Amino acid sequence: MTGPAPAEQAAPAFSDRLKALRIQEYGLAAVVVLLFVAGSILKPETFPTWDNVRNMLTQASVVGVLAIGMTFVIATAGIDLSVGSMVAAAGVFGGILIGTDGTSSLIFILGTIAFATFLGTVNATAIAYARIVPFIATLAMFSIARGLALLLNDKLPVSLLDLNGGSFGDPRPFSLLWFGNGRIFGIPVSVYVFVAITIAGWIVLNRTRYGRYVVSVGGNREAARIAGVPVRRIIFSVYVMSGLLAGVASVLLCARLGSASPVSGNLYELDAIGAVVIGGTSLAGGRATIVGTFLGVLTFALIFSLMTQLNLSTEVQQVTKGLIVLAAVLLQRSDSRY
Amino acid sequence: MSRKRLIIWIVAASLLAIGTTACSIGGDDETTTVTVSETTERGTSSGKTVKIIASVPPTDHGWLGAISKDAQAAADQHDDVDFELLQAADADSQAQQIEQAIAQKPDVLVVLPQDGAALTPVAQKAERAGIRVVNVDRLFTAPDAATATVLGDNYQIGVLAANYIADELKCNGNVVEIQGLAGISVTTDRTKGFTDTLKKKCPGGGVKIVASQPGDFNPDKGLTVMENILQAQDDIDAVYTHDDDMAQGVVQAIRNANRDDEMFLTGVGGSQDAMKQIEEGGLYRATFLYNPNMAGTAVNMARLIGLGEGFSELVPPEVPRQLVVPAAVVTKENVNEYEKYAFN
Repeated sequence: MTGPAPAEQAAPAFSDRLKALRIQEYGLAAVVVLLFVAGSILKPETFPTWDNVRNMLTQASVVGVLAIGMTFVIATAGIDLSVGSMVAAAGVFGGILIGTDGTSSLIFILGTIAFATFLGTVNATAIAYARIVPFIATLAMFSIARGLALLLNDKLPVSLLDLNGGSFGDPRPFSLLWFGNGRIFGIPVSVYVFVAITIAGWIVLNRTRYGRYVVSVGGNREAARIAGVPVRRIIFSVYVMSGLLAGVASVLLCARLGSASPVSGNLYELDAIGAVVIGGTSLAGGRATIVGTFLGVLTFALIFSLMTQLNLSTEVQQVTKGLIVLAAVLLQRSDSRY
Repeated sequence: MSRKRLIIWIVAASLLAIGTTACSIGGDDETTTVTVSETTERGTSSGKTVKIIASVPPTDHGWLGAISKDAQAAADQHDDVDFELLQAADADSQAQQIEQAIAQKPDVLVVLPQDGAALTPVAQKAERAGIRVVNVDRLFTAPDAATATVLGDNYQIGVLAANYIADELKCNGNVVEIQGLAGISVTTDRTKGFTDTLKKKCPGGGVKIVASQPGDFNPDKGLTVMENILQAQDDIDAVYTHDDDMAQGVVQAIRNANRDDEMFLTGVGGSQDAMKQIEEGGLYRATFLYNPNMAGTAVNMARLIGLGEGFSELVPPEVPRQLVVPAAVVTKENVNEYEKYAFN
């Protein structure tokens, strides 16, 4: 612990808030367990199986990776509305990079992540240096990136099926499709990626000075500045990170889909923001929890999986999903400051 | 910031995003085949120029892209047509766009509405102003909103799919339906035609629809929905998907689960990708053609209306009030005949 402790300065009741957060996390963990139990009762043969858990975790990994980046953004009292569009644009960019005869997964992966990071950097510059409100800047990128996704390959998806070593079935290790469909010790590669990023996110947020700076910038920007936090650089960094993670999410999605589609990632930002907020991170900034985000992502994945497995009609699904989200927030709410 | 504001922003953001995709129109027509019959060429000598404005949804989907290209290609065939193609991201902006088009006083408007009901009043306004309207694909809800209508037959697509799948399964098996976007007539009709026909064709209930979920015409939604259905259903014989683009995600889910030997799949639309897979054989067994050349047909009809002529092979001196473009079954056996209609 070197340097000032701006988080505590910024938020006098920091330890109280921390306690509230813990309760919130436990509450959401209970929601996750409840949903799993409900699924196991309603679909006893197919829901509580290892195969289904694996499927849910795989599906959760795409939005999950976005949600980790979103947690940092929201911790600074910002927002990133562009992640879904960046997923699509980055994938198509990676796709055209490898061309028709290219079979290099590495070029696709690096190209996709680099392009998303570039788009994130545009967001970051607009917000941190041109002082455009995060809503507006990322709203513009929401539109620009979706447009680019359609523009880059004349509105066509790019097939990536050649990137698995030639045949279906078990993809070659470290080929693109391996990231979507391959397994190590029975666990999908994309789940390792998601969990690794979650753990890294937790360490950075909770155990580093950078993490404390991020939270302090969201809690009280002026106090943070006075305490010597490089506010502008911190804000810049979270949008770059959000872009980079959108690139990772794009790789995971394209790997599963076997193609880069310009219409993919539609409204993923909603799921990512939703997961972060029901996890307990405050939209007003200054309060963030990676564990909560992780549980929030699981909650959405469980709801989606359960409802499609029950074959509920769309309208019933939409109403139910909304009600479960409301119930989840009520169940875990520990403070009554409203 | 409040949740409510967030939602308002997100809605605004989606609208803006959809809006920006409407900016460009595919320029090359090499993949679109327009069948202009010789009989419609007669009018060129009359010396009159017909001004046609077409208003369609943006080209962010394969089929809609083909619609725009096809309309433009049909117009380019005629020297006596002054053609303008407009794209609108949603029903509201399309209504505004048509208001502005009315002010330009074209002879004929060709409209593929985002939402037939919502665009009916503005189409009626055009008709009352003396501008003839040709309605494409999605129907207006009042008879005086259009002079002529060209449409595909979504109910028929469901019928063809049910017949095909019932025959293939010999009225015995489990079927999954991956629908389009919930709440629009295209999806409802494709579902209704399918379920009605299955009931008639296999009265014993031998073909069971074990799951029916929307994939929103979107490949990544199709992928995740199918992944979940594969978890819930351990015995699937056939998958009826409402769209070729979306079906690519469904195909991938089945392949990822290594279950491509267990079932077969059908699409709708007639994309190049789907036709290629049908030709290769395997999982993708058939698609039901929903021919985008109905846009070209509509432009040609608009021209005849503007010139005050009819189809020379038909008796009446005017064009028909309604023209239904038939759906067709495309399988490995006949895919060569239909490849010329494929879009990408």
